[in-house]
Amino acid sequence: MRILYVEDDPRSAAAVGDILAQSGDVLVWEDNGSAALLRAGLENFDVIILDRMLGDIDGLTITRRLREGGIGTPILILSALGRSSDRADGLDTGADDYLAKPFEPAELVARLKALHRRATGREHSAVILYGAFECHVKARTAFRDNRHLALSPKEFELFRYFMENAGEVVTREMLLRQVWKMDFDPQTNVVDVNIGRLRRKLEDGFARPALETILGSGYRLLDGMP
Amino acid sequence: MNEARRSIFSRLVAGAILLSLVLLAGLWWLTHQTVSTSLQEAAQTEVDVDLAGLADIYATGGQAELEARIADRVALTPVEGSASHYLLADSRGTVIAGDLPRWPALDPMVSESGVIAIGKNSQGFARAVQLGPDLKLVVARSMAIRAPVLSSLTMAFALGGAVFVALVALLGRLAALGLQRRIERINLAFREPQDGSGLVATRRSSAGDEIDELTAHSAAALARMNDLLAAYKDTSEQLAHEIRTPLSHLDNRLVKALAEKPDAQIAERLAEARAEIRRIVQTLESLLDIAASKAHRGDRSGLAPVDLSALVTGICDLYSGSAEESGLELRWNVAPDVTIDGDERQLRRLVTNMLDNALKYVPSGGSITVTLEPGPVFVVADDGPGIDPRDRERIFERFYRGRNKGEEVSGSGLGLALAHAIAERHGLALTLEEPAAGGLGGAVFRIAAAA
Repeated sequence: MRILYVEDDPRSAAAVGDILAQSGDVLVWEDNGSAALLRAGLENFDVIILDRMLGDIDGLTITRRLREGGIGTPILILSALGRSSDRADGLDTGADDYLAKPFEPAELVARLKALHRRATGREHSAVILYGAFECHVKARTAFRDNRHLALSPKEFELFRYFMENAGEVVTREMLLRQVWKMDFDPQTNVVDVNIGRLRRKLEDGFARPALETILGSGYRLLDGMP
Repeated sequence: MNEARRSIFSRLVAGAILLSLVLLAGLWWLTHQTVSTSLQEAAQTEVDVDLAGLADIYATGGQAELEARIADRVALTPVEGSASHYLLADSRGTVIAGDLPRWPALDPMVSESGVIAIGKNSQGFARAVQLGPDLKLVVARSMAIRAPVLSSLTMAFALGGAVFVALVALLGRLAALGLQRRIERINLAFREPQDGSGLVATRRSSAGDEIDELTAHSAAALARMNDLLAAYKDTSEQLAHEIRTPLSHLDNRLVKALAEKPDAQIAERLAEARAEIRRIVQTLESLLDIAASKAHRGDRSGLAPVDLSALVTGICDLYSGSAEESGLELRWNVAPDVTIDGDERQLRRLVTNMLDNALKYVPSGGSITVTLEPGPVFVVADDGPGIDPRDRERIFERFYRGRNKGEEVSGSGLGLALAHAIAERHGLALTLEEPAAGGLGGAVFRIAAAA
């Protein structure tokens, strides 16, 4: 991926640079808003990462001007303003995702991949096939090795989200936001418990595991092939 | 129409019209009575003078002379509407002279006077006198003039009154519209407080009256409120930025240290330090959220209809698994289609915090019941250890932790304070209900419209 990162704090920029170097992505760094606006219009990027509190133009204004200018590159706001009202402001302005500092490195990588995947149009098909799994989006049915999986409506939504991000890390925050519309992490271990229940339904009667827990970051759907 | 009925100015104009009508009616009645009485008094005087003259004639000239004079007077062409009428009769009432057809119901022995009928449609004032032992006389004066005079009077009042009331209504309406427009401008400024500058730019009327003063005060209050809100927002954003950025750098160092694959014990310490950073950030966020909710208390702007029934059902469904794994029974009775004008994210936070609180304090084997009824009334009741009476007053304060908690219970001490602030921001009150006497104990939290 080719990523534009707009951030006025060099240390934050270096930290993100380190993270993305490991995943083999190309990071272009700009430390002010006007240079970023110019560059975003001139060059092609897969994703733009924006800080909010910049020296000249703030991140929300950059987002608005890019959208008004017809530039649809996925935007992830990476900001120290992390309250749920701040997130809502960012998403309402036209950003596609919002991550607050400090963040989990794996969370950033997962979000960027999900954004890129969504932008390249690898979803919204009627049937999603991955390994031994099938997800019939319209009929709301799930199969593993052609065997029907009896999922509750919410479990199906969880499963579908995993299928849309098959083989990639899905974080707890992503699940809370996408499946339960919650932009904060409740004190109770609700995500782990609900994932546990889905895992049992996906694995019951099969030899191979279906969901992998990745410590400190989230979960990944495995292909479930025998 | 509804709008007009609610306005104080429409009521004032209606009151002024009603008062004018009442005054006009009273004035008409008074004038009518006065005119009517003076007309009758005039007739009375004329009758008495006439009668005295005739009695004089009788005394000097005798009955024959009197009869002749009465005949003369009857023959005279009367002035329009004020003709005199006479009747001279003997004691049995037999007509001797005059133009009245029969003796009226007046007693001559006491010189009785009164209003009698003259002809078919007319009335007159009359007085009867006893002239001699077998002779009595009645003189009457027609009051036919009274009816047209009084009806002209009534007509004048009706026309004049209509013009007067119309003027009162028109002028009142104009004055009311002017006042209404000025008051409405103030109301509008308060309804859209973010745009309070419009009020300041308002041209002051030359009068510099009470409403101008109210407008000036309102503009100042709104400007101050907006300044405070802006200052609050700036401060909280800077606070968040200045604390989160260094914490973020610190976290990055810990991530780097963890990437060096330290031994298990050090790795665990580093992970704990990272968790500590998360907790500081969450505490900061909760404090700022509480402050934001309090700052927006009673402010209806930015609220939209939220389907509370769906929201509560969804969150209970999310928590059911965790409750079951903690050995708790979580039940929910949610009435359908309960809605509220609110901020959906905050309401989610409110319901979540209430459930987090219950799951945290109710020990295994207990039960939690969530109820949502129209109103909305939202109740979370449990059969856990309940709230110590000494904690009841302070349970919703920031950082206050109750006494009846297990050793393993952790948390920021901000969950209920934030829930309380969010409820207030929506015009609701989060309260702790008194435990039922002889009940099973436990805590009952209730969220309902603020009293």
